[in-house]
Amino acid sequence: MTDTAEPLTSMDFHPQPKAGTARPWAFPAPERGTLGNGLTVLRCHRPGQQVVAVEIFVDAPLEAEPAGLDGVATIMARALSEGTTERGAEEFAAELERCGATLDAHADHPGVRVSLEVPVSRLRKALGLVAEALISPAFAEDEVKRLVSNRLDEIPHESANPARRAAKQLSKELFAEGTRMSRPRQGTEETVEAIDAAAVRAFYDAHVRPAAATAVVVGDLTGVDLDEVLAETLGAWTGAPAAPRPMPPVTADDSGRVVIVDRPGAVQTQLLIGRVGPDRHDAVWAAQALGSYCLGGTLTSRLDRVLREEKGYTYGVRSYAQVLRSDGAGHGASLLAISGSVDTPNTGPALDDLWKVLRTLAAEGLTDAERDVAVQNLVGVAPLRYETAASVAGTLADQVEQHLPDDYQARLYARLAETGTVEATAAVVSAFPVDRLVTVLVGDAAQIEEPVRALGIGPVTVVS
Amino acid sequence: MPMGHTATAEAGSGGLTATEHRLANGLRVVLSEDHLTPVAAVCLWYDVGSRHEVEGRTGLAHLFEHLMFQGSKQVHGNGHFELVQGAGGSLNGTTSFERTNYFETMPTHQLELALWLEADRMGSLLAALDDESMENQRDVVKNERRQRYDNVPYGTAFERLTALAYPEGHPYHHTPIGSMADLDAATLEDARNFFRTYYAPNNAVLSVVGDIDPEETLAWVEKYFGSIPAHDGKPAPRDGALPDVIGGELREVLVEEVPARALMAAYRLPEDGTRACDAIDLALTVLGGGESSRLHNRLVRRDRTAVTAGFGLLRLAGAPSLGWLDVKTSGGVEVPAIEAAVDEELARFAAEGPTAEEMERAQAQLEREWLDRLGTVAGRADELCRYAVLFGDPQLALTAVDRVLDVTAEEVREAAAARLRPDNRAVLVYEPAAPAGSEDGADGAEGDDEEGADQ
Repeated sequence: MTDTAEPLTSMDFHPQPKAGTARPWAFPAPERGTLGNGLTVLRCHRPGQQVVAVEIFVDAPLEAEPAGLDGVATIMARALSEGTTERGAEEFAAELERCGATLDAHADHPGVRVSLEVPVSRLRKALGLVAEALISPAFAEDEVKRLVSNRLDEIPHESANPARRAAKQLSKELFAEGTRMSRPRQGTEETVEAIDAAAVRAFYDAHVRPAAATAVVVGDLTGVDLDEVLAETLGAWTGAPAAPRPMPPVTADDSGRVVIVDRPGAVQTQLLIGRVGPDRHDAVWAAQALGSYCLGGTLTSRLDRVLREEKGYTYGVRSYAQVLRSDGAGHGASLLAISGSVDTPNTGPALDDLWKVLRTLAAEGLTDAERDVAVQNLVGVAPLRYETAASVAGTLADQVEQHLPDDYQARLYARLAETGTVEATAAVVSAFPVDRLVTVLVGDAAQIEEPVRALGIGPVTVVS
Repeated sequence: MPMGHTATAEAGSGGLTATEHRLANGLRVVLSEDHLTPVAAVCLWYDVGSRHEVEGRTGLAHLFEHLMFQGSKQVHGNGHFELVQGAGGSLNGTTSFERTNYFETMPTHQLELALWLEADRMGSLLAALDDESMENQRDVVKNERRQRYDNVPYGTAFERLTALAYPEGHPYHHTPIGSMADLDAATLEDARNFFRTYYAPNNAVLSVVGDIDPEETLAWVEKYFGSIPAHDGKPAPRDGALPDVIGGELREVLVEEVPARALMAAYRLPEDGTRACDAIDLALTVLGGGESSRLHNRLVRRDRTAVTAGFGLLRLAGAPSLGWLDVKTSGGVEVPAIEAAVDEELARFAAEGPTAEEMERAQAQLEREWLDRLGTVAGRADELCRYAVLFGDPQLALTAVDRVLDVTAEEVREAAAARLRPDNRAVLVYEPAAPAGSEDGADGAEGDDEEGADQ
């Protein structure tokens, strides 16, 4: 033990430096237009971003899936890139990858999203392929069959993943039985099995058309005649005009309770604690984002300060709000959640501490210092968060999908900066009231059930 | 005193340049200017990773990385995180076999803070390191291990393949996360010694990339890091050299609670930094990268025997790289059917090589990956450090994509023929333990060469 004899430090110390003068930065403002076929286009030039991101949103929500065919939107989205009337599935994938592109298509509650990333030098060709997929998908019987069986094979993998399993259970608990949101986004074994090429084609015919879609194009567009590129690609897409779809209201039961999904022998318990809250159209969003950051945004937030940095129960617990669907008419909803995993023996103590953190927050509120750090972080990281074309395109497409104005994110930063401690406290406390949280625990029931019951955070049921 | 030279823009680097400097205490510094966005990335690579760990102390390099965030002489508790995040920055650290990196991405006007923070812990961590942080972070890391490896299906596959592919006693035989027993055994004195041995300016490379004034930045680096004493007591890591091929298939069959059978394999491949490594990267991309690869087409599209099938490449500089095959089977398909198809595809590829179109595709994919990597200041800072630490020349980062594009189809074929062979792999087979019923003892005939199926 030589540490007292040895000098621990022999360097010159200097006081903590002061910040320089901030260079202004603003969330990029896209240029909005409409093509002759009714397709809405948002474009945004980002100098230096050689990989262009294209996000296409189609208003084809999951609740539009026919009864008994949950998952048809997912299969359709996947089938878009599995061959067109001009080329087969393998050739399509090969041509796209030859552009150095990646293409992802998936379906979620608000609709179908197709995401392309490609070096700008090959944008024209790759966008041509994406247009071909949207305009003339083959939906070949055999390819759809393959996608269905592939999807069926995925389901057991998802059930075996603690985080996925918890999410599925929470949806089931939270949302009214019979509503689309209560059921898995990509369908169940039973519903997926029922999907065939005709069902995929019918869903496509009913919902996929340019007038119901928006394309967001972001990247270094120097020297690119985007109008011409669009005219030659997505501009050739035709379809009937689309009427906006009214969105059904979201109803949820957040009465406090605990559901344990039994996983005998699990060395950790996956926690997912949630309820339903407002969407981004609600004036409270900025304050809620601030408050939620203070509660569980990072490892120095309240939850991790105790659960991780003091007790070592977890690698990290986060709180967040995730918009599920939004129509701008007051029907939208988000999932407010706290998630993470804790070691099995400490599950009871960890939940006890978690509830104590929430109660203390409600009783004493946030401090001004916490609020200041949260604002500085949430606003300050914007230029780094939006360095890539893909991140800008993703947020612009989210705004479209949630019926928000194109300058929403830019204005959110201004609102965050104006939000005070009292407002942030009120928002986070009403977002996470201790008696109105549905707690899903994926873990070893034999070990965690009793300690969790003893906490008195709501009735406990065990499912397998 | 800083000395440096200015590099000219290399072809294919998108006009990016980097300058190199060295402080009197041995700290190497790489700077790269880019004023498009008002952000600057700071990246610090220490030339120490899990390969430097000794028997009985696996996981120490990574556990130590956690301790670097627990305060130093002038930074209290979680101050490092609080100050960076409060300045609108983001930060983290990671540990691999070959290095430990720490990084902050800051709004330009907060760059000096990140340099001050990194220097404080490089020079004075031991002033703050105590039992309390050691005990706490030990628990955190054990929970990290549970969350990422032990509590997810197939979670320990990488660790098992590594243990098979690199023999007992080899510095890469164990992975950076370490074992629970060794994490439990690590002491505060181990951590202190680790710091004293490896955390010295002459064992690190600092890169600063983005909206910077190079002269001002260099002056800050000199101011904050310049007085940290050099230290030369670092032992060389154990030699990672191995014969080019394993020389016989190694195999482990696991019966575990997993959702489906799986065939995984680790192939011994050329070291990073060689032309052969770029060639094998292209081979693995043609064979198992993306949705148009040969294995995806064969197993997922045509045979329909797999849910997913692909190859990954772990580039390593101090030991053979590792090519990782991962196939999850569909429905009731048995592993031998998959394995036969994989072997057939690999043999055909070794004989015929890639088609011109496949080469074009693979090169286009790797080119986009490089554009992505170099498209952010943080990615560029990390790559500059990587090439400086592992290959002694940061400029190589800016030309890496050119080297990949220069490889020929015949070189790709040769690399595949030499390495992607059954006698050059460690195989890991998963059989579900669930009461699903019908077939259980199917692994009887497989035999296991080395590790044996532990549980």
